[in-house]
Amino acid sequence: MGVERYKDKTMAESVATSEMNHEAAANDRVMFGFWVYLMTDLLMFAVLFAVYAVLHGNTEGGPGGSDLFSQPLALAETLILLTSSFTCGIGMIAARRGNKNQVLVWFGITFLLGLAFLSLELQEFAEFIREGHALSSNAFFSSFFVLVGTHGLHIISGLFWMFVTLVFVLVRGLNRHLVRKLALLSLFWHFLDIVWIFIFTIVYLMAYV
Amino acid sequence: MSKLSHNTTTQPKAEHGTTVSYVIGFLLSLVFTAIPYYLVVNKTITGNSLLATILGFAVLQMSVQIFFFLHLGRGPKPLYNVAFFIATVGIILVVVLGSIFIMDHLNYNMMTPQATTTKLAQDEGISQVGGEKTGACAYIGANHQVIMMKGKITPLRTESRMCDSLTFINQDDTPRDIMFGSYPDHEVYGGETKLTVKSGHPKTITLNQLGSHLFYDPLQPDAAGYFTVTK
Amino acid sequence: MKEFLIGRLSMEALPHEWFTIGGSAFFGALILALVVILTVTKRWGWLWKEWLTSVDPKKIGIMYFIVAGFMLIARGGLEALMMWLQQALGSSDMPGFLGASHGYLSAEHFQQIFTAHGNIMVFFVAMGFIFGLINYIVPLQIGARDLASPFLNTLGFWLFVAGVVMVNMFFFVGGEYAATGWLAVAPLSGTEFSPGTGMDYLIWSLQISGIGTTLGAINFIMTILKMRAPGMTLWKMPAFTWGSLCSMIMAVTVFPLLTATLFLVFFDRYFDTHFFTTALGGNAMMYTNLIWMWGHPEVYILVLPAYGVFTEIVSTFSRKAIANYTSNIIGLIGVSLFALSVWLHHFFTMGAGADVNSFFGVMTIFIAIPTTVLVFTWIATMYKGRIRMTTPMLWFLGFIAVFTFGGVTGVMLAVPPVDFQFHNSLFLVAHFHSNVIGGVLFGVFAGISYWFPKIAGYRLNERLGRYAFWCWMIGFSLSFIPMYILGLMGATRRLDTYDASSGWQPFYVLMLIGGIIIAVGVALQLAQIIASVIQKRRLHDSTGDPWEGRTLEWAVPSPAPSYNFATIPQVTTRDAYWEMKKQGIPARKFEDIRMPKNTASGIYISIFAFLVGFALVWHINWLAIVSLIGAIVCVIARTFNDDTEYVVTAAEVEKMEETRMAKVRALHAEKDTGPDEDMGLLEFIKLVITWALNVIRTRRWRNQ
Repeated sequence: MGVERYKDKTMAESVATSEMNHEAAANDRVMFGFWVYLMTDLLMFAVLFAVYAVLHGNTEGGPGGSDLFSQPLALAETLILLTSSFTCGIGMIAARRGNKNQVLVWFGITFLLGLAFLSLELQEFAEFIREGHALSSNAFFSSFFVLVGTHGLHIISGLFWMFVTLVFVLVRGLNRHLVRKLALLSLFWHFLDIVWIFIFTIVYLMAYV
Repeated sequence: MSKLSHNTTTQPKAEHGTTVSYVIGFLLSLVFTAIPYYLVVNKTITGNSLLATILGFAVLQMSVQIFFFLHLGRGPKPLYNVAFFIATVGIILVVVLGSIFIMDHLNYNMMTPQATTTKLAQDEGISQVGGEKTGACAYIGANHQVIMMKGKITPLRTESRMCDSLTFINQDDTPRDIMFGSYPDHEVYGGETKLTVKSGHPKTITLNQLGSHLFYDPLQPDAAGYFTVTK
Repeated sequence: MKEFLIGRLSMEALPHEWFTIGGSAFFGALILALVVILTVTKRWGWLWKEWLTSVDPKKIGIMYFIVAGFMLIARGGLEALMMWLQQALGSSDMPGFLGASHGYLSAEHFQQIFTAHGNIMVFFVAMGFIFGLINYIVPLQIGARDLASPFLNTLGFWLFVAGVVMVNMFFFVGGEYAATGWLAVAPLSGTEFSPGTGMDYLIWSLQISGIGTTLGAINFIMTILKMRAPGMTLWKMPAFTWGSLCSMIMAVTVFPLLTATLFLVFFDRYFDTHFFTTALGGNAMMYTNLIWMWGHPEVYILVLPAYGVFTEIVSTFSRKAIANYTSNIIGLIGVSLFALSVWLHHFFTMGAGADVNSFFGVMTIFIAIPTTVLVFTWIATMYKGRIRMTTPMLWFLGFIAVFTFGGVTGVMLAVPPVDFQFHNSLFLVAHFHSNVIGGVLFGVFAGISYWFPKIAGYRLNERLGRYAFWCWMIGFSLSFIPMYILGLMGATRRLDTYDASSGWQPFYVLMLIGGIIIAVGVALQLAQIIASVIQKRRLHDSTGDPWEGRTLEWAVPSPAPSYNFATIPQVTTRDAYWEMKKQGIPARKFEDIRMPKNTASGIYISIFAFLVGFALVWHINWLAIVSLIGAIVCVIARTFNDDTEYVVTAAEVEKMEETRMAKVRALHAEKDTGPDEDMGLLEFIKLVITWALNVIRTRRWRNQ
């Protein structure tokens, strides 16, 4: 096209971008915008991590992480979530190939693994609560429950989003809008696993260092 | 025209990833999860080096997932999303490390005068403040060890000099508490009311008070011993 | 049962103090008047279709201006006057009225007023004006037709409105606002010391509008980075767009910190957690740390677009391209980077010690460097330029005077030992008002007077504009120079009464007079707008380029058509329009244009968001859950809706352009028999009185 007439490489790029068709340009914008949103979500988690770092020692004489956390449980949760991130990626490849059944299978597995993760986490919370430790017990528990709980709430939102999208895939078939939705969802899901790496390290592993 | 009709026979774009990249990412992440886990569980290293190592592996695994799962850096230029990611990481470091830096200093400065004196004395071995002994030792002498196993304390009696250190080692699976003085009374020694000693986590006190002192396990009072501190 | 249904709502929550009765009567009357006018003129449909559900950033921009302007006058400015009056009357040898020990505002009420003043001015006035400017002007400057996500744009605006409603809600239900200061420092903001609902209103109004701001910032970043006209690389963008980009990147960085921190405060109040409590391990200092991590970059978010506005104005009215564009942009970027590393200077006195204080003190002083670079590029631009002293240029000069004052006092405050004397004194208050008023507000006024012709199709009355400017300058000086002196004399901020022997009262009286002069200035600004409407034929801008501008927004007609550009321009240089004028504007080839459809989903989601906040303020749990579900359903409905655009065919575009050109030609051909110069103040007052008498005499309202 007329791109060659621009000696300046950046000029050529900006012309090329505008020559992308409307669809691809819109897709590109949405993916980028969602990425920026994920960065803001990461920053919210940064505050929660900072608060945990400052307050986790304030157990007011009560038990701390090393007394309560089960390392095998944390490892199990980590492996489950990691696997779900992997199956999500495979599902995305199927989506870009237009393979509706594979999408349902792989995202279905992701969904079940997510549920498994959630149930393990809820079990852990339930046990702490049964032992009499709550959000309001002291600063350590407040920061623990809010940090890990916020991640859990994100997982719940992701599962809900996954469920709604898969229903639409089932009903409407795999069209390009739904492929884009799945792309955004898998960005979200991978990002949640990355946040979990740090929760695993900073909350569960560091308690025993 | 939808993308779908193009991709049935052509390779997917690099920015969208192949099965291979996901498999590699998955396997690497497994490894980078297992290593720090076992380092912590087996206590192969301890302290600050362990901290640095597991954080390093977390960052490594994050990078693996960023590249192999999220395909960052492989899209069309300009790479705004990479720039935003790097900027976000920078800000996160400012937020977390900045908070720790500030709050640590604040907490240090907010301690009561007594607490500050004690902490300074212990941290920096200041043994005298204003002509009065703080009880802290200027330097630590020899180290003595007391081993607790199957309810027996070995050795029963430890002879030591002032400002030596005494380490309690627990070789049982269950944690054991140590209190000073004679059961059922207890005294404070070396600034400690009660020590909880777990297997693999020995506890050390500084012998900064003269005389003979008993110690015992409050849950099993016949597991007891004593040490004598002379000048 | 009753507690389940309506939470903590009760009859006591209804207005029963003089100011809540007054406030709810005022707002109630306003709403009633609007409803009556809309019904009588049968304009509900027009309002809904043309404005409320519009996704056109030009319309949304104007709506932001209207809401922000309204909040400036009816709340923020009024509260400032109330505080000035109270402090002038608050000497210990003065009598007290209406429950006050001295003056007319009780201590509790005064505390609520300064809290509300801060919240409203920062979040709803300043942010509102800035978002309005960016919405209207940036797409035009980069050659785009709309923002990247029209839906996010309208959603962001309506969340902002939900925040505005929330901050005013206490007049109707609740009776009190937070009395904690605008940033609600812990533990004063906890349930132990602020048990009422005022603090919760603060949390939710800031939280909801903050989320709107974050979404808007993401939108602006997407637009600026991905939707520029072909050939416009980053280094060819206009300065205002650069200022907006830097500002929005900072917004996207720090508003999540505010969101998270406000959630933590909410948890402390609602779920009894212990993040910032005094007991059970909480650390109140962590709140101060976190909130200022947001709070400091926030003021730079506000001022960076203003810097951009001034660069444009200086360049246009000196008839020169910006001298040293690269330094100017690097200055903007430098300010943004440094702004993220200085927040502790707001709490030097909290006790972090010399190590920490000196680091942040040095970093704070460093910010003066990129700011000075900016000032030098402006001076260099003016040097050997042909300067026209229009109203926007006057605002620029006022900015230089006032903002520099604020800046140098800021460098003074950046030195920790000096700050130990000035922390929380009136010296500090004068410093930041110099910067916020001199920088942000003057920047907004300059931008509005500069771009008004583009927005309305006619320029503003210059005479009244000048009078307004001088009222602001004189009023501001009279109000804030005594404040600096009072601060040096030891007066602290947020004082409602003070000892008569301090000798402070004359200064406070001077400040009140200054405030009244500022109020006159605001009235003149309103008069200016009305006079311009009356004289719009005379002031009409037929070319779209009344100032001989340099950037792309002047290439479109005034006001711009809904699609902005009939054909997207090809850009080859900086100051793209100047280049186009030199080379000759190329012939246009019309093409089909995709435009986004209007949508009401932004309104619906914001209504639900408001209800969630309101429900949580009053502990009506079922309502909170139901509204949250409602919001989620609306989001799903909108995001799974694939039919959100319509097409304007090339033929239709051509027709619209033809019609508009014909109108312009007709207007040009008309003989202008009106007066030779802009209306003056006396003439305006005479006109208003004549009109009012006419309406009364003919009893015109009877015919409606």
